[in-house]
Amino acid sequence: MARMRIRLDPWPVDLQGGQLTLKAFDGTLDDVETPRWAALPARPIPERLKQVFVVDGKRRMESRIFIEDPQGQSGLGGFGAYVVGAVDLCPHGTRQAELLAVKAQRLLAHAPNLLVEPAQLTPRNPHTGQLEYAPAPMQGHDPLAALNTLQQHMLGAEQLLSHSLASRVPVDETDDREWLTALTIQDGTLRGQNLQGAVVGCVKTMETMYLPADRAGLLSELKPGERTPVLRMTYEGGQFTRLIWYVRLCEAAFYQHPMSGVMRLEMFAPDDTDFLPPIVRQVANLSGTLLTRLGSRAHKDPRAPQNLIPTAALEQAMNRSMGSADLVTRRIRAHIAATFGREAVA
Amino acid sequence: MTGVQGQSAATGAVVGMVLGTQDVTPVSFWFAVQPGASIQLDDLVVVGTRKPDGAEVRFYGIVDHVRTRHEGVTFDSDVQDVAAGLLPASISYAARVLVTRVHPENFIPPQPGDVVRHARDADLRMALSADKMGDRAFPGGLLADGQVLPLNYRFVNGENGGHINISGISGVATKTSYALFLLHSIFRSGVMGASASAGRALIFNVKGEDLLFLDQANKDVGAREADAQAQKGLPRTRYDLMNLPAEAFRDVQFLAPPRPGSTAGAIVPHVEQRASGVTPFLYSLREFCLRRMLPYVFVDRDASVNLGFVIGSIEDRLYRLAQGADTPYLTVEDWQPDDAEALIDEDIRFDELGGVRISTFPQLVAYLEYKLLDANDGEGDRKWVGKQSPATLQAFIRRLRGVQKHLTPLVRGDLSAAQAAQYRPDPLKPGVQTTVVDIHTLSATAQMFVVGVLLRDLFEHKERVGRQDTVFVVLDELNKYAPRDGDSPIKDVLLDIAERGRSLGIILIGAQQTASEVERRIVSNAAIRVVGRLDLAEAERPEYRFLPQSFRARAGILQPGTMLVSQPDVPNPVLVNYPFPAWATRKDEVDDLRGKKVEDVGDDWLR
Repeated sequence: MARMRIRLDPWPVDLQGGQLTLKAFDGTLDDVETPRWAALPARPIPERLKQVFVVDGKRRMESRIFIEDPQGQSGLGGFGAYVVGAVDLCPHGTRQAELLAVKAQRLLAHAPNLLVEPAQLTPRNPHTGQLEYAPAPMQGHDPLAALNTLQQHMLGAEQLLSHSLASRVPVDETDDREWLTALTIQDGTLRGQNLQGAVVGCVKTMETMYLPADRAGLLSELKPGERTPVLRMTYEGGQFTRLIWYVRLCEAAFYQHPMSGVMRLEMFAPDDTDFLPPIVRQVANLSGTLLTRLGSRAHKDPRAPQNLIPTAALEQAMNRSMGSADLVTRRIRAHIAATFGREAVA
Repeated sequence: MTGVQGQSAATGAVVGMVLGTQDVTPVSFWFAVQPGASIQLDDLVVVGTRKPDGAEVRFYGIVDHVRTRHEGVTFDSDVQDVAAGLLPASISYAARVLVTRVHPENFIPPQPGDVVRHARDADLRMALSADKMGDRAFPGGLLADGQVLPLNYRFVNGENGGHINISGISGVATKTSYALFLLHSIFRSGVMGASASAGRALIFNVKGEDLLFLDQANKDVGAREADAQAQKGLPRTRYDLMNLPAEAFRDVQFLAPPRPGSTAGAIVPHVEQRASGVTPFLYSLREFCLRRMLPYVFVDRDASVNLGFVIGSIEDRLYRLAQGADTPYLTVEDWQPDDAEALIDEDIRFDELGGVRISTFPQLVAYLEYKLLDANDGEGDRKWVGKQSPATLQAFIRRLRGVQKHLTPLVRGDLSAAQAAQYRPDPLKPGVQTTVVDIHTLSATAQMFVVGVLLRDLFEHKERVGRQDTVFVVLDELNKYAPRDGDSPIKDVLLDIAERGRSLGIILIGAQQTASEVERRIVSNAAIRVVGRLDLAEAERPEYRFLPQSFRARAGILQPGTMLVSQPDVPNPVLVNYPFPAWATRKDEVDDLRGKKVEDVGDDWLR
């Protein structure tokens, strides 16, 4: 009789879902690289790939507000901040990694059709800088609308940054071939439309099992750096299709779920269903080598190795660039007190 | 940027900004060094901050701590990821400033974000309080960045304070060198003004014959200074920067004790390396008695109270005995020594008939022994003995016998009156600015005797004539002459000099290995304190509390030619380096060709 076995979910418990709750996938999946379902070894990173950008974004709601405009209309809103940024690194390790464009933007989200002026929060001390909140109308009136507006702005900015940094990916076979010199690694799944940059999304958590049962077994067998063949994934009614593959970043510890350390990568698929852009294949080939190098260690990050070293540093820098939430809240309160008088403070 | 009244805008290069992650106080703060700037310990910086009313307050300070670290990383091992180019991190390069001056004196803190600049020109003068010194500043060495450190002469000559104390372990050749450099700087920088010729120095040479070539140019100085100039990237040589001539000392007289054993013949100075220009010095027996030198023979006066009484009463007896004549020797009538024959001289004078001449130190000791122990059938002469017990008297004689050998060459009666006058040491001799008294060949007791007697004479002289010309006394190994524990007549003289000397114009430039072993009142009376390399345990003693902790830690790694100088005008010590001596400190450094080529000198001989 077989013994009972318990394995740990590698993901920290306070993160929603964890890695073991795998939902079934109801889209279609097609072989686009090869019909042969077997592990592919990692390839070295080509010399001409000079720049790798790790892009991430963060947002923070700083205060929910109630606005009454001069025309007598009123509605909900919120002060919020978001930041997108990148780490610019050399995949060959020939120079220091640098933070790029990490600068907080601030939004004053408000219910549509309100007359709202930008809010300028002046510091008490001249050395600490001003906070400027640009008005942004939100869609709908529900309490989460402000947060959603913030999120949309952030995602938009993130995507623009990702694609502006990366090399172009040709859309079909007639396109001029471009070399892969700059690659962007974006945190999380790809969103929005295809802007044709060499952007690879890293999905850290496995919540949906896209592979059919007969193929899923390969994920447990992958060696560090190895990947699955590239597949073309289409959601039922999805706006755009993606090319996906799985990579293992590190050996799963004996006490962990066998799929821990496996990450799903995705890139935008061109409209031509049979065309696998050579850049995507290159990215897939080098992804094992690159990501095992960028992967974090368990003692440094509870989300290791999927939370990449540059990502963690970027998150820290982004948090910092938004400033201390407590202090910002106080500044907002002081601003309201100074601008609208004592009776405006709740 | 408009400055406060009388203050121009800061001109030095911007080096950073005051940090906001560390406390900023009016006396110390950290600043982030900006990329491309390089800040080292001892750099002087200036920060301006504005009060709410718009008035500017400037903070001048010295960098006493610098550090770099990776910012934004948490784990020590992250350094590998940063170096591999995976982890973005910035290097935080920060420095701590100890504020030396706030102007105007508003002790508000600077603000985080205030710009920090190098202190240059006017700012440097403010940082080092040179503006308060005016024309009374003389160079005390060069700062780390090649700027001149001004020292306030008012704190040297006794006007506001006086005395200089130098500590440092020996063998690193720093204490005496720096003392001599300061003397050179005082004498030749013009700080003494019209009275430049009036300044004098009395230097005791306690080690080797190092100081016996002060009047000779050093043949290595050119090369060494050119080296240092290149190494430190200075625009001119260090002497030029300080506006001092690279020359040997002028108007120097060298005194050395006579060679022992030459009682009968010529009086020759006891030196090995220097062939000429050294004058022997000695005292006549009558001077010994008349000028009450006996106490300086005894180093441990406090060995017993009674011994002190004996010394006092014998000193007085000898003084009386020496009255009435002016011969170098003494004549007594109440003593018939066993070898009286030997004492009779051919040129005996009529008024000495029937008397016995005492013309050597051993004879004086023999006479005292007779008077105290042998006369009156072992009772001793009642007038001399007083009420002292025989044991104390015996102790007195025993001590005297112990030092007899060392003092015999120095205290003599077998001289002509002319010789006695010629060889009497006189540091105030006209035409002499610097007197070097070589005592290194003497025994410890004789050294103490010479130092004590010379300083006492000097002190008494200055008490009579006042302070008009300043005399600098350079004395190494203060811990030997004025130890913290114990009591001696030499220590009394030194204490007198330390406490009252500055108002009389006697300035002590004292040096010692360990200030903790020197009488506290002597060290604490020094206005200017200098520290060279110290033993780290020594640096932690309370005597060095004037050094901030970071300086105390550094005192252990100071190189020769580098000193920490503390003066009353600047609350923090400053690190200086000073030039290689322009005077020879050893025989082989003497520039005997006087700057000419060997061939040229040879030419002169052949003609």
